[in-house]
Amino acid sequence: MKKHAVALALTAGVLTTSNVLAEDFDWRKYEGIEITWAYDIHPYADAVVAYLNEFEELTGIKVKPELYPDDTYWGKLNIQLSSGSTDWDVVGTGIQPSWDVTPAGQLTPLKEFLEDPSMTSPDYDYEDIFPALRRAWTWNVEEEKIIDTPDGEIWAIPHAFETVQLMYRTDILDRLGVEPPRTLTDLTTACKQITKSDPSITPMAVRGVRFWSSIHTAPISIARSYGVSDFVGSGEDLDTGLDSADSIRFHKDYVEMIQTCAPDSWANDNWYQVVDGLSSGKTAMAMDANMFGFWNNIKGASDASGKIAFAPPLTAPGEAEFASNIFAWSLAINSASENKGAAWYFMQWATSKEMNVRGATDGKLVNSPRTSTWENPAWIDYAKQPEFNNFYDTFNTVLAKSSLLFTPRYGFGTAINAWAVAMQDMVGGEDVEERLSELADEIREELE
Amino acid sequence: MVNEGVKKSRSNRTFLLISILPAILILGGFVLMLFWGFYQSLTDMRFGRTRVDFEGFGNYAYLFGRGRFWDSVSLTTTFAFTAVACEAVLGLAIAKLFNTKALLANWCRPVMLLPLVLPPLSVALMWTTMMNPESGVLNYFLGFIGVDNFSWISKADTALLAVVFIDVWTYTPFFALIIFAGLRGISPEILEAARMNGAKAWGLFFRIELPMVLPYIILAALFRLIDSLNQFDIIFGTTQGGPGNATNVLSISAYFTAFQNLQFGRGAAIMIMNWLVVLVSALVMVKLWRYTRDRVS
Repeated sequence: MKKHAVALALTAGVLTTSNVLAEDFDWRKYEGIEITWAYDIHPYADAVVAYLNEFEELTGIKVKPELYPDDTYWGKLNIQLSSGSTDWDVVGTGIQPSWDVTPAGQLTPLKEFLEDPSMTSPDYDYEDIFPALRRAWTWNVEEEKIIDTPDGEIWAIPHAFETVQLMYRTDILDRLGVEPPRTLTDLTTACKQITKSDPSITPMAVRGVRFWSSIHTAPISIARSYGVSDFVGSGEDLDTGLDSADSIRFHKDYVEMIQTCAPDSWANDNWYQVVDGLSSGKTAMAMDANMFGFWNNIKGASDASGKIAFAPPLTAPGEAEFASNIFAWSLAINSASENKGAAWYFMQWATSKEMNVRGATDGKLVNSPRTSTWENPAWIDYAKQPEFNNFYDTFNTVLAKSSLLFTPRYGFGTAINAWAVAMQDMVGGEDVEERLSELADEIREELE
Repeated sequence: MVNEGVKKSRSNRTFLLISILPAILILGGFVLMLFWGFYQSLTDMRFGRTRVDFEGFGNYAYLFGRGRFWDSVSLTTTFAFTAVACEAVLGLAIAKLFNTKALLANWCRPVMLLPLVLPPLSVALMWTTMMNPESGVLNYFLGFIGVDNFSWISKADTALLAVVFIDVWTYTPFFALIIFAGLRGISPEILEAARMNGAKAWGLFFRIELPMVLPYIILAALFRLIDSLNQFDIIFGTTQGGPGNATNVLSISAYFTAFQNLQFGRGAAIMIMNWLVVLVSALVMVKLWRYTRDRVS
């Protein structure tokens, strides 16, 4: 099992990014072509949509965005890719779900484009993307299995990424005299204190829908500090780690936390509801992707502006080390696309240094995957504004311990969706040990 | 003369054949797709994997050996039969109201049809918001009668009830419409004769109106049962089959298995089982409809 540790030292400096895309590169090569770009309804998409007219002027390529709610996007993506539909040319995706679609060749390998000077602008600078993210998007496929190797194919280009953090409303916690918790059990205690002091406040929000996206934020990050892995061993000895003693301990604490802290609607809550709770002040704390806190801190964005602070993810009791899962929102090309050249042009424009900085300083493309953005004084000044509280510093603290906490393998969705369903059952009252045993049996059957 | 007749007869047959050809082609397409789906259910086809092996009834054996599958069968039938029974009773009551000259009936008739013209997914999203245990309007009103924090779609023990409630709200007008047509079809002379013979309102209803509209009720139930046993939009849009597996009916289970877990062969097997449940239920309903129709005749 290979993990991709992200340890990204940020150095101060003045960015020398060119403000114009290389003039000697033929951006008009695919003029007149229309492509479709599918993505989640997400501010990361808004960041790109805002400048689409500039891309169309630059290249003469027309881009039709198709944006879908998170709940339906992933299912639709699977269907579009696996059916060989040519409708979508560029798709938004993440590393984990792509483990399930690359074995059948549903995404186009990108090395060929990156290494071709006639296809990639000389100032594109792929190496500027954080090494760990580049590495995480690199693997080979052999006999329909993911072979994790640094020399492998490149399957997508990240244009923003998420780290899981605890976010809290400073106004609510200050008013109620509650300190931001560090451990999962501290959180449960804090929730009881909040409920006792002000029953109208929901102490904590996390995603609960029966889909892998619920697991990839809070649960997997906290579980790691309990010593839990989704899979242990490798090759023929690969086994699930979800019925281990550590896993039982984690799930008992997590289930108690949800029952004590989360809103009654937890099982139906996706990130939209989690963020809404925090921004409206109905919820005191949330553990999810950090940029949600950032977006709501923007002046005038919500009533929560300037009131959301950040902290590292929660840990197991007595454990100092935290872990934070990352999710890299990336762009990839459907292998059935009939416009791969134009699709690649759009991708390299959307993931370019210029677009990353613009998106970041517009307050949308938060958590840029490019070193140059994090060295850009404009972005640093912007991110350090008082309304963002400790966003910048916490990002650096958490980034050092952020990694992809799932095991690269085909069947990611099957196993982690089953975990999400089991979590709902346990929160609903099913015995934790028995339900985890059933879950582990289910996953082992798939492994066979 | 004879030749002309033969020619005319041939021409008529050709015309008839051409007329029904589209129907035959469409029907053939459906049958072909059904067989194709059945074939896929006999394979280990998975999205994201190119190799597909034929494995006979392996997917079915897997499903039959799992309690969760039988839970889904039970949930599917419980959901559908409960919803359809409630819709039939309420639809009958509303149709009876429509069949009077009451002012309320005139006002209600056009409004009643609104749920039917809304897309089911929009209905689901609307009810999801209203059923939010903390901020939903339903719990606000329930608060007036002392019911606090009813969990609706958020807890396993109330989620099925909540989705049945949404189905009933959406499709009761369908029953009302069909039964209303049935009530209007009863000859006034029959009712008048019964009245002359001293029949009271309840007697008229139970002995004349109800038996005469029963074929209509069963026909509506047949259509609704087929739909409810396949219900996807309302459940997916509200609970997605959860919490846990509390509303994981066969159609939702098949979708998640095929499109989220990428096990298409197994998902197809669940769909075939769903189809069988629909087929058996529909056949029973058709028999019942024939029986009541013959009885009325």
